[in-house]
Amino acid sequence: MELPLLEVKEVQKSYFENGKEFKVLDLIRFELAERDFVCVVGPSGCGKSTLLRIIVGLEPPTSGQVLFGGSPIRADNPQVAMVFQSFALFPWLTVTQNVELGLEAQGIPPEARRPRAHKFIDAVGLTGFENAFPRELSGGMKQRVGLARALAIEPLLLCMDEPFSSLDPLTAQNLRDEILQLWANPDLPPKAVLMVTHSIEEAVYLADRVMVLSSRPGRMVAELEIDLPRPRNRKEPEFYGWVDEIYSLIV
Amino acid sequence: MRGLRGRLRILAGITILIAITVAALNPQAAWNAIQLPLFALFSTTRMVLAYMLSLVFAIAYGHTAATNKRAAVILLPILDVLQSIPILGFFPAALFFFVATFPGSPIGIEFAVVFLIFTSMAWNMAFGVYESLTTIPVDLEAAAASFGLRGWLRFRLLAFPAVIPKLVYNSILSWSNGWFFLVASEVFTAFGQNFRRPGLGAFIADAGLSGDNAGIALGIGVLAAVVLALDTFVWRPLGVWSERFRMETTGHEVPRVPSPYERFRWLPRFPRLRRTFLTAVQPVVTKYHRASVRLDRTYSAHRKVIRDIRYLDLAMFVVVLLLVVVAGVVGLARLFLSPLPPAAVELPRAAASSFIRLALAYAIALAWTIPLAAWIGRNPRGSRYLTPVLEVAASLPATALLPIIVGFALFATASLGPAAELSAVLIALFSMQWYLLFNLIAGVRAIPEDLNEAARSFGLRGRAYWRRVLLPAMVPSLLTGSITAWGAGWNALIVSEYIPFLSPPPHVSGLGYLLDISTFSKPPSNAMILLTILMMIVIVLAMNKLLWRPLYKRAAVKYRVEV
Repeated sequence: MELPLLEVKEVQKSYFENGKEFKVLDLIRFELAERDFVCVVGPSGCGKSTLLRIIVGLEPPTSGQVLFGGSPIRADNPQVAMVFQSFALFPWLTVTQNVELGLEAQGIPPEARRPRAHKFIDAVGLTGFENAFPRELSGGMKQRVGLARALAIEPLLLCMDEPFSSLDPLTAQNLRDEILQLWANPDLPPKAVLMVTHSIEEAVYLADRVMVLSSRPGRMVAELEIDLPRPRNRKEPEFYGWVDEIYSLIV
Repeated sequence: MRGLRGRLRILAGITILIAITVAALNPQAAWNAIQLPLFALFSTTRMVLAYMLSLVFAIAYGHTAATNKRAAVILLPILDVLQSIPILGFFPAALFFFVATFPGSPIGIEFAVVFLIFTSMAWNMAFGVYESLTTIPVDLEAAAASFGLRGWLRFRLLAFPAVIPKLVYNSILSWSNGWFFLVASEVFTAFGQNFRRPGLGAFIADAGLSGDNAGIALGIGVLAAVVLALDTFVWRPLGVWSERFRMETTGHEVPRVPSPYERFRWLPRFPRLRRTFLTAVQPVVTKYHRASVRLDRTYSAHRKVIRDIRYLDLAMFVVVLLLVVVAGVVGLARLFLSPLPPAAVELPRAAASSFIRLALAYAIALAWTIPLAAWIGRNPRGSRYLTPVLEVAASLPATALLPIIVGFALFATASLGPAAELSAVLIALFSMQWYLLFNLIAGVRAIPEDLNEAARSFGLRGRAYWRRVLLPAMVPSLLTGSITAWGAGWNALIVSEYIPFLSPPPHVSGLGYLLDISTFSKPPSNAMILLTILMMIVIVLAMNKLLWRPLYKRAAVKYRVEV
């Protein structure tokens, strides 16, 4: 049998303050295979962002472990890329330089990384803005840069932490559709997507599988396969059936 | 800006005319004046050397404190103390050390001067580096980590750019601090001996000593010109450039707080000159880029060696630090184990009178800076004309104004005792007031327009507006300004309570006076020097910990304007 891409095994996370333990995440376990688009949904404060930080190796779990391709995850793993809610663009670097960031860290020479960066800048529709600085871009364009930067290292797994939450609703919806288009293109990375969001509708709109977390401490309440055909229509009763079901699980 | 350029040309013309007239009337003065550019060059070179030292120190120290938690436990308190002590008090010790190291050569004094300026510049720059590194947004750190930025690459792409805005801003402050100490240190009396090195400060002091009013004016004029030229050609462009490195915290539109670099907005920009300069440095920039790519490669090839060097470096620093601490403890033990010198009885009274003098200067400064800052902060048109005038005035270090202030005090009171008292307060005032003024203006400008409009729409005017909007908004910046102002005040006391180059030397009782006479006596009374400095350090630290910090913490919660 083929190895799953990502294995999250009994992950627990606690913070300690004055000797008291605050449990944030409790025994989270799931697997991610190739061609999975998974959303983690939960109320705010359920530790879903912490979970993502643990999964990409930015924080160690208190117990349990995260395996990527069968071995423990490392933060600088070039096969995992991250998109941030706050975009996390380097304000002093141009769009191209931001997109090249991961390639530069891998030691790829400038002549080789330039065309790769431009390919992904084109893919997210930012042609013509290669030399702009982040502060000159609108929120939606900034997040496109964040997306291009993540795709440029051609990761197997793309992790997104509330990527649309700082955008206005219209921009967010456009970007969601574009992500689905990129996802549908088999020539482009990634092989799997893991996204964290607090918006149930967003999760049902995007994901093949939705994982529902309860709040404080975050526990896995349910894992649901969303079998709606794409493109999905928010106005259909089936769509709302899923939203209502997840909503009742959280509340 | 064209109008300003025209005015500058007229000003240059007038200066040349005056210079020709002076030369015709007084050849000796003209000869002195011809040497002035050379003196200006000497003084500026000292400043540049000290600044470069400070820059390297600040980045190394701040970076270590921010990235190494164990080191930070020692490094931060040390920085805190260093920043609050009146460093002028240590100058005699440094002078003694350097002169003894290079006997019979002026190099010793030069080292001492550069070292003194360094001590006035380095600490707040190091703090700036530390603060910016610890306030890098979490997500940016996470992005750097998850895209694999490490070591040199992380420093070049994340850490160094992140410190630039604060480093430039604090450099501007440090640079004007530096002038104060440069002028004070080019002529110095200690151990019954006069030390002097040619420079602008020495020129002004000499002119003051010989009562040459034209010389004083000329020296101060040239000093102001040098300070302003550096602001125009170095700090202003650097400030504008550093804006690019400012963090945007979120994707939301944040109301823009006026940047401190807009300070120099009125300075001419000389676009043609700048373009020529930029074309000229283009090859250097290209070379830098190439070099940094090569450095990236070298770094990843020798990662282990570099880490070892860094540990060695840190270990050496710890050893030096331990030596200094041990020496300090031994010195203190010896001081308190031997009988106190008889003059020590005067310490409490001297401390009290020095404190009262500073409090008086502080009160006067508050009385005029608060209303003026409120006016300037809310009247952009008025501030356009007034700000340049104030900034030129503020660019002159109080030490350079010393001859004028003493002359004025003698003229105003006509007897030595009151004149000494008046001049001491005035010098303290001149050292303190600008910190308050410019901080307060920034505070008023930072009031969000929404808040002002809300106040206006509810009909808040006059006293109610002051009480509900203006004064609360000024509180945090007032406290920041006060801490710096008091620090500057203590340093000013050392030069103002005893003025050795006049005879008979005017003096008033106080800590500065005690310190000075203990230094100037031959042989110097080491025990008294140490005791006086300790007394000052205790007062400054006590005020910081017991007064300013608690007030600042409360103000930060209560009066912070959320943006």
